[in-house]
Amino acid sequence: MINAKDLTKRYAGRTAVESLSFRVEPGQIVGFLGPNGAGKSTTMRMLSGYLPPTSGSASVNGFCVFSQSLEVRRSIGYMPEMAPLYTDMRAKEYLRFRAELKGLAGAAMRRRVDEVMEQCSVQSVRRRLIGNLSKGFRQRVALADALLASPPLLILDEPTNGLDPVQIRQVRELLRSLRGRQTILLSTHILQEVEALCDRVLMIHQGRLLADDTPAALTRNLRSAQLWVELQADEAKAREALAALPGVRRIEDPPSSEGRDPDWVRLMLRLEAGQDPRSSVSEVAMREGWALRELHLQPASLEDVFVELASMDRAV
Amino acid sequence: MRLLWILLKKELRSFFVSPVAYVVLALVMLLSGYSLRAALSILERGPSEGSIVQWMFQPNWFWLSYFFAFPLLTMRLFAEEKKMGTMETLFTVPVETWQVVLAKFSAALLVYGLLWLPSYLNFELIRWITAGQVVVPGGALAGSYLILAFMGAFNLALGCLASSLTSNQIIAAVVSFTLSLLHFLAGLFIMVLGRRVSESFVDIISYFASMEHIRTFSSGLLDTRPMVYYSSLTLLLLAFTHQVLEFRRWKP
Ligand SMILES: Nc1ncnc2c1ncn2[C@@H]1O[C@H](COP(=O)(O)OP(=O)(O)OP(=O)(O)O)[C@@H](O)[C@H]1O
Ligand SMILES: [Mg+2]
Repeated sequence: MINAKDLTKRYAGRTAVESLSFRVEPGQIVGFLGPNGAGKSTTMRMLSGYLPPTSGSASVNGFCVFSQSLEVRRSIGYMPEMAPLYTDMRAKEYLRFRAELKGLAGAAMRRRVDEVMEQCSVQSVRRRLIGNLSKGFRQRVALADALLASPPLLILDEPTNGLDPVQIRQVRELLRSLRGRQTILLSTHILQEVEALCDRVLMIHQGRLLADDTPAALTRNLRSAQLWVELQADEAKAREALAALPGVRRIEDPPSSEGRDPDWVRLMLRLEAGQDPRSSVSEVAMREGWALRELHLQPASLEDVFVELASMDRAV
Repeated sequence: MRLLWILLKKELRSFFVSPVAYVVLALVMLLSGYSLRAALSILERGPSEGSIVQWMFQPNWFWLSYFFAFPLLTMRLFAEEKKMGTMETLFTVPVETWQVVLAKFSAALLVYGLLWLPSYLNFELIRWITAGQVVVPGGALAGSYLILAFMGAFNLALGCLASSLTSNQIIAAVVSFTLSLLHFLAGLFIMVLGRRVSESFVDIISYFASMEHIRTFSSGLLDTRPMVYYSSLTLLLLAFTHQVLEFRRWKP
């Protein structure tokens, strides 16, 4: 559905996206992750044909985004960042205008507009001026616009940005219901969203692709699981003994030791990928005669992976 | 064609939901009222060589309304889309850039045409009130509106270009006003200069001088040269506008 090869975009003196290559297969929901300024929006603009790449190429639905722009535009529903809309139009009127631009007409157009308004829960504001709508409603009108022509590919730039939790869940359900029928590329900062929704994650940082995998594989393979240990021991000694265990990468300071039992030491161990040193920890505790009252393995979340990848990259 | 019509409808609609169209309309009505009074007072003084139509399009009042209309009608067209980011939604649906340019330009031209409707009604009113004593020559009237349309198209195209260059409406308005005025003054300058130098300059003058064009056409004489001049400039400016909008898509 999407085939990007060495996609590069330079703005005056600044490289926003650097030789990004990836493929998206039909029917997949792909999450696009990356810290602020990573180049997500820039990539999406290039894929939608709005901006030409500085070098490299991309095709959408088999059409080149640069030379076959109109065909590409017919194949996508694009929702830009910040949901730009005509503020002097009413919600329904706007959607009808957009539907007509996208080639729908007559009764079919009116039916489709009603349908997407229902799907995105904007029926209640259909007669109001878009300029007077709250951010969340504008966001939903923009999403409805992207859905209008039932395009094979949806490119959504932070679709749930600014929505309340109930709405976020609804939008997630909506996108999930489109799975299989439409391919979706969405960018987001909410990592649970990716875990809950996406078949694949593309993680980019400073314009370069860091990871391209399923959310599960990413969290499994990246060395980010944490082990919480609470012992009754001398802290320096405990740290030394635990750090020496195989599978432990380093010991991090727990977030806060305020109000803690002074006799007890609580430590967080960062583990190597796929390692589980819980039994060795309890052996050490037994051997040294330390009381052990917490031993908790927390599997890595995507968030850890994300923070880890970003910081790893900075160190390089 | 269908897309052009959809876009045009939307542009016309935005003119009339915002106060801009009404403000310009009121302004032009007011100023053309003053022009008419000036024209009538000239006729009152006794027999004159020109018709009321000719005197109507001479006073400064007329030129004032003429220059104010263009920036006000065009400043919004592209600058606002840029500012609000709706360029991105507009150019990711299957429309061609030239369709957008043409729709916006045509909408401005139609609203501009509407501006001269009250002045036409004024003429009809005068004809009716004076029971035909004040002659309103039909040919002169048609000629005046014809050249106004051509001059308007040119200045509106200038405004479109100015608006496509910036995301700030005020800057767009100032640029378009300045360029229109410069074009007018250049014509005036050549005209005055031409009179001084030699009569053979008159031919060249008739190409540039808007004042001269109005004078000719409002006396009922149709000259194709200004029409060609204005329409080719209009096309050129619209082509520039198109290029400015496409610039984004140029390969660096
Ligand atoms: N028009 C522009 N001119 C110059 N630089 C730009 C332009 N647009 C974006 N950039 C730069 O390109 C880089 C990538 O921006 P982009 O908007 O793609 O990031 P993003 O991943 O969408 O970030 P966010 O999560 O904040 O939305 C940034 O460093 C940004 O400053
Ligand atoms: Mg972004």
